[in-house]
Amino acid sequence: MASTSKKIMFKSSDGETFEVEEAVAMESQTIKHMIEEDCANNEIPLPNVTSKILSKVLEYCKKHVDAADDKEKYPDELKAWDADFVKVDQNTLFDLILAANYLNIKSLLDLICQTVADMIKGKRPDDIRKTFNIKNDFTPEEEEEVRREYQWAYE
Amino acid sequence: MLSCSRSLLSQTLKRKRKAKTKNKTKFKINKNVSRKQKFIAKNQQIEEEEEEEEEEEEGGGGFNLKSSAQSNSHGVQPLGNLYFNPCSINSRNTGLGNLQILSDELVLEILGLLEGTRLGVLATVSKSFYVFTSHEPLWRNLVLDNLKGRFLYNGLWKVTYISSFYPSFDVPRGTSFSGLRVRDFYSDYLFQSWLCANLEMKPEWLERDNIFRKSGISIDDFVMNFEEPNKPVLLEGCMDNWDALGKWDRDYLVNLCGAVQFSVGPVKMRLEDYFSYSDQVKEERLLYLFDPKFAEKVPTLGWGYEVPVYFREDLFNVLGNERPDYRWIIIGPAGSGSSFHIDPNSTSAWNAVIRGSKKWVLFPPDVVPPGVHPSPDGAEVACPVSIVEWFMNFYGATKNWKKKPIECICKAGEVIFVPNGWWHLVINLEESFAITQNYVSRRNLLNVLDFLKKPNASELVSGTRDRINLYEKFKNAIEASFPGTIDELTLKAEEKKAQQKKMSFWDSVTDSKVGAFKFSF
Repeated sequence: MASTSKKIMFKSSDGETFEVEEAVAMESQTIKHMIEEDCANNEIPLPNVTSKILSKVLEYCKKHVDAADDKEKYPDELKAWDADFVKVDQNTLFDLILAANYLNIKSLLDLICQTVADMIKGKRPDDIRKTFNIKNDFTPEEEEEVRREYQWAYE
Repeated sequence: MLSCSRSLLSQTLKRKRKAKTKNKTKFKINKNVSRKQKFIAKNQQIEEEEEEEEEEEEGGGGFNLKSSAQSNSHGVQPLGNLYFNPCSINSRNTGLGNLQILSDELVLEILGLLEGTRLGVLATVSKSFYVFTSHEPLWRNLVLDNLKGRFLYNGLWKVTYISSFYPSFDVPRGTSFSGLRVRDFYSDYLFQSWLCANLEMKPEWLERDNIFRKSGISIDDFVMNFEEPNKPVLLEGCMDNWDALGKWDRDYLVNLCGAVQFSVGPVKMRLEDYFSYSDQVKEERLLYLFDPKFAEKVPTLGWGYEVPVYFREDLFNVLGNERPDYRWIIIGPAGSGSSFHIDPNSTSAWNAVIRGSKKWVLFPPDVVPPGVHPSPDGAEVACPVSIVEWFMNFYGATKNWKKKPIECICKAGEVIFVPNGWWHLVINLEESFAITQNYVSRRNLLNVLDFLKKPNASELVSGTRDRINLYEKFKNAIEASFPGTIDELTLKAEEKKAQQKKMSFWDSVTDSKVGAFKFSF
């Protein structure tokens, strides 16, 4: 008898449906618990996640499930794929963080957080502000005071 | 010379208490007079305005802040305050830019990946980042990751980090410097974090004391009425011949073994350095000295105590040196302790306070405490809240439950028996020294064997490197030393099950409403 692996259905906030294999859906701890409690038999609505982001998330999960065996043999390959995966605009990046957090997909959350951290590393304050569209809301006196407090970080 | 500003909230609390004539609360009133911070004129104005804001705040009268509460929050206010300020923007958001859609926890998750210098530079980017990067747990992780236990705590984790790695930099130290005060920064997570670090235990959290107390009972009495039915009890008078009682104090321990390394959370530290930390620190999740090899490291400590008579049958003894960790010395300041957990390997435990006092909250095995989420296989116990936060947010729920927890305060000279499988939470009410041991007696042997036999033993079994084989080893060793015991106990258990309908702990109690217990036999 052919075994058909179970499929899980998601519905994004903008009404699109996605169907994936159970193993892929279980990359999300949230969904995994739902499956274990037998609450994942109908379509799972995700009002916090748009179709654009959900498709990216599921793409990530699928890749990591498929590559699970190869991960030990070809770790660099997966790393390269991940590096490519995060080459998206900032808004998408932050939406992915929110989705990964909401769905509790630790490896994806770690990946994107590290990506953002890397965007901060090595930059001077002005560049950080430019990158993330941050307003410098210190008064000149405050800025001087704060610079003095953190002078050690500039040496 | 800058002087320390006492928390403005406690000033407000004092004023509010005087205004409330009806409210009969038993607050411990902080008697310290506050000294105003001497900042540049601008900041002083901010302080006065903030004081006015906080006076309107609801619910501020519920908390006892430690008299030494620092303003290290830089003026962080809870999100609710934003609604009192209709024109206000939240500087948290403007200062985060595109990152503002992330929650506080997620922002901190990202910051947790940065080294010290990166955090330092980030602090100068905006007021929001100035506040976020001052979050102490970030610096604590950096210190512990880089220095392990070889740090000398210096008032704050951030200051400790800077003075360790940039010794030539003149760090503004002590409580006299609290940095920039930031206006209009609203964040529940950061405010809660600061609040929990500076909160004292409320008197009403300490009122309930419904444990059985016994003094001088026989071993048979203990076994029949408590160990066998698996009920907790507080035993008095079984430490009278302990050398440690009355002898162990700060000076004695430091003289004896101040330079010895003890296990403290994820690191090992010199005892002296740990005391230096515990004297100064104010944080939500305090590092706790909990060492399973104290008697091996310092034999004199091991001679200071004797296992109380009730607990001398300890079957893991058959494993000799290969037995899992079974005894710990516990040292920690007020506020340190353990959040809800069940002891490993299905063992029972006793905990003896040598100096200080501990508040205990216990739930039977079949009642999961509010706020705790164990995974189905028991491998993970998620209690994400700290001890103080649990009291703040979940303790109240137990008031109206039929299944109230067992609670008590255990003082020097008293020993508490924690039956196997019971959930328990402990918090030190003052600096405390204690000894605890886990053990297996015949009453508990089958449970332990069952536990060790479980398929996921490799994750669940603790205190030994040889997790997978422990079951086999232990079973064989018992058979060798006490042949036939396991079979005998198994037979008895089967007979018992066949005769009785299985009663839960709460069925056996006739008057749970009052909170005092009566046995039905």
